[in-house]
Amino acid sequence: MSETTTHSIDISAMQRSQQALRIEDEKVCLSVKDLHLYYGEKEALKGIDMIIPEKKVTAFIGPSGCGKSTLLRCFNRMNDLVDSCRITGEINLHDTNIYEKGTDVAELRRRVGMVFQKPNPFPKSIYENVAYGLRIQGINKKRVIDETVEWALRSAALWDEVKDRLHESALGMSGGQQQRLVIARTVAVKPEVLLLDEPASALDPISTLKIEELIHQLKEEFTIAIVTHNMQQAARVSDYTAFMYMGNMVEFGDTNSLFTNPTKQQTEDYITGRYG
Amino acid sequence: MSNELKIKNQTVSQWVKSGDPWVWLNAGAVAICVIMVIGLLALIAVRGLGHFWPADINQGTYSLPGSTPYTLVAERVESAEVPAAQLREAGIDVADHHDLMMRSLMKTGNRDVYGSDFRWVIDEYFTDITQPEMLFAAERHEWGNLYGYLKAVKEDGKVVAQTEDLTPTDSALATWAAFERSIERATTIYDDIHDVEKDEIGAINHKLERLRLEQRRLELNNELTPAKLADIDAQRAEQDALYEALQQRLIDLYAEINRDTFVVQVMDGSVHELQVAKVVRAYRPNAMGIAEKLGFYGSKVVEFLTAEPREANTEGGVFPAIFGTVMMVLLMTILVTPFGVVAAVYLREYASQGFVTRTIRIAVNNLAGVPSIVYGVFGLGFFVYFLGSGIDQAFFPEALPSPTFGTGGLMWASITLALLTVPVVIVATEEGLSRIPRNVREGSLALGATKAETLWRVVLPMASPAIMTGVILAVARAAGEVAPLMLVGVVKLAPSLPLDGNYPFIHLDQKFMHLGFHIYDVGFQSPNVEAARPLVYATALLLVIVIALLNLAAVTIRNHLREKYKSLEM
Repeated sequence: MSETTTHSIDISAMQRSQQALRIEDEKVCLSVKDLHLYYGEKEALKGIDMIIPEKKVTAFIGPSGCGKSTLLRCFNRMNDLVDSCRITGEINLHDTNIYEKGTDVAELRRRVGMVFQKPNPFPKSIYENVAYGLRIQGINKKRVIDETVEWALRSAALWDEVKDRLHESALGMSGGQQQRLVIARTVAVKPEVLLLDEPASALDPISTLKIEELIHQLKEEFTIAIVTHNMQQAARVSDYTAFMYMGNMVEFGDTNSLFTNPTKQQTEDYITGRYG
Repeated sequence: MSNELKIKNQTVSQWVKSGDPWVWLNAGAVAICVIMVIGLLALIAVRGLGHFWPADINQGTYSLPGSTPYTLVAERVESAEVPAAQLREAGIDVADHHDLMMRSLMKTGNRDVYGSDFRWVIDEYFTDITQPEMLFAAERHEWGNLYGYLKAVKEDGKVVAQTEDLTPTDSALATWAAFERSIERATTIYDDIHDVEKDEIGAINHKLERLRLEQRRLELNNELTPAKLADIDAQRAEQDALYEALQQRLIDLYAEINRDTFVVQVMDGSVHELQVAKVVRAYRPNAMGIAEKLGFYGSKVVEFLTAEPREANTEGGVFPAIFGTVMMVLLMTILVTPFGVVAAVYLREYASQGFVTRTIRIAVNNLAGVPSIVYGVFGLGFFVYFLGSGIDQAFFPEALPSPTFGTGGLMWASITLALLTVPVVIVATEEGLSRIPRNVREGSLALGATKAETLWRVVLPMASPAIMTGVILAVARAAGEVAPLMLVGVVKLAPSLPLDGNYPFIHLDQKFMHLGFHIYDVGFQSPNVEAARPLVYATALLLVIVIALLNLAAVTIRNHLREKYKSLEM
């Protein structure tokens, strides 16, 4: 079992790209400095230091409960919604600490969009779902909204499937379509960063494949951070991978090296399926 | 095949274990509930709806032993068996071989002649019963029904048609036809008079009252300059002139309507001359076929639904009560929905879920259990006496000492009932808010919406079916409530509707009629209990129907919303 897993990762990793990526060469989009996060007394993130490179896909892997989703939710301050949550350290989005006092959280979340594990379209029409973020910003010109909706749906590779039923309820779509709709909705407000929290885990293999293809296209325009349980997926879609374990960042580096030549024993054990 | 799996001689304990008794118990409870509800509705429907049916008028000889026989003309209302012994004790000489005797309540009408509408009759002694075709019943604006034979119709004292026959001969039918034409004419004039008095003179009175208040207000503020006074006087003179003209018209109309009279012979043989204007409608039930009776029945039901009450509410319709009930419930809904929703949103979404919030929630839940009369007392003490008189001091000093809002009225009644039902809306809305999936909220927040925007655009629309559930419960409770209303604005007879053509159109300070209170008033405060009893059932049935319709409307809206936001079931 572990052999076949390693094998398939090796192939896909080789296919992916020839040129070696170096984190030092990348432009920094988000940088995390000594981030600690506590749920009440429990320390869920134990001093994270890392960067998210711009216009690249960064994957977070690790066993359940390792804190990867928690870390992702720190980037757009989603953890603020949890009453008992306390955070120290800083996260900079292009040199601005998003945890500084007086930060406009709504504006931050517009710039750092997020897609969740389970598709969560609003009970509105497909069109209104995509237009939601624009309307929130007070954009009401029909022409602007029309154009943006089409652009966003095209970006999410959904336009051809739904262009004839834009005004039908989004709840009538399949799960995979709903998830791409949610991506379109997030893209429509033109964020700088897309956070994807296990975006394909509730989907069938074909929908998963579509989402992965989509991620490839989207990284041309957006910085993407993705949490995934599926290591093949991480290997297929990401440029950089972070392996987390028990609230610690065990290893972070370009995906190629991390999967083929991990520096830490823990990482190797995890990606070869020895635990997790 | 093994036989052990088959149940053969089942013991009691096996039967209990099988769960069958439990099923029987549940089904039985449901059956009893259904039977009781259907029985209740059937009872009020039968008793209430029967009232409008034109019953045959019986004529016969009533010869009670020991008293002189006389002719009785009456409708049978109800019959009951009574023990003969009881009758003997009452001093009636009943033959020995009787144990039980049928006794009937007969409606004889002609209260102005006999002093009462009804009398009890022992069927045994009521003999030679016929249903003569020419016997007629006339509903009157006063004194209840009239039963008798038409003898003549007169215009200005001159006889235009008359008959000596008590059977349907040509002359009798011709007189009847003249009578019907005369009634039709009188009804038209009566409607005109009603329009002039109610609407036109009512409007003038309304304007004069406003002028008086305007003058008083200016006086109180020391702003009454001669110019303004002259202006007010001029307007008043204008209204007075209009009033004079209408007054003259009324005098003419009254002269017109009083032109015709008719002569009737009643059951004791006496002959009376009455004005046609006093008659609402006259009919000969014994001569009517089933189709005619149905038509008559329909017109009576329509009258009940659309007309104003007459004769201390025991005759005529209940339209003002229907209108008052519906309007009060709608106003209550408009008040309670935003208030309850806002309170629930704060409790569920914004307040930190600590001890204080929990206490408030428990208090709100318990408020729903406070007896409604307590709300009535509170409404009277706080809203009417405290707030109302405060409003009067501040905004209507010119009307003092007569109160404007300092007395019960539509607004206070609606607010009191809104207070009574707000816990229901809060509880239902909170329930709905707590069921909105967290990921939908997060989806909105992640797009850069603030909490308020998320609430307004996503959460509240999705919670709207639950809010409507709360509103449905509130409407059901408020529409049936009577006790608090008696203290804060319901009256047995309101002179005008709270919604009319006079500025400001909705009169929130006015007292109003209510179906629930109407039932109480007609049934238990009426001078003529026998006449009123069927109306109690009819009004009760109507109240049930009105509440059912209001609920149905709300349920339809909720189902529509559910359909729209059915993702809750995801």
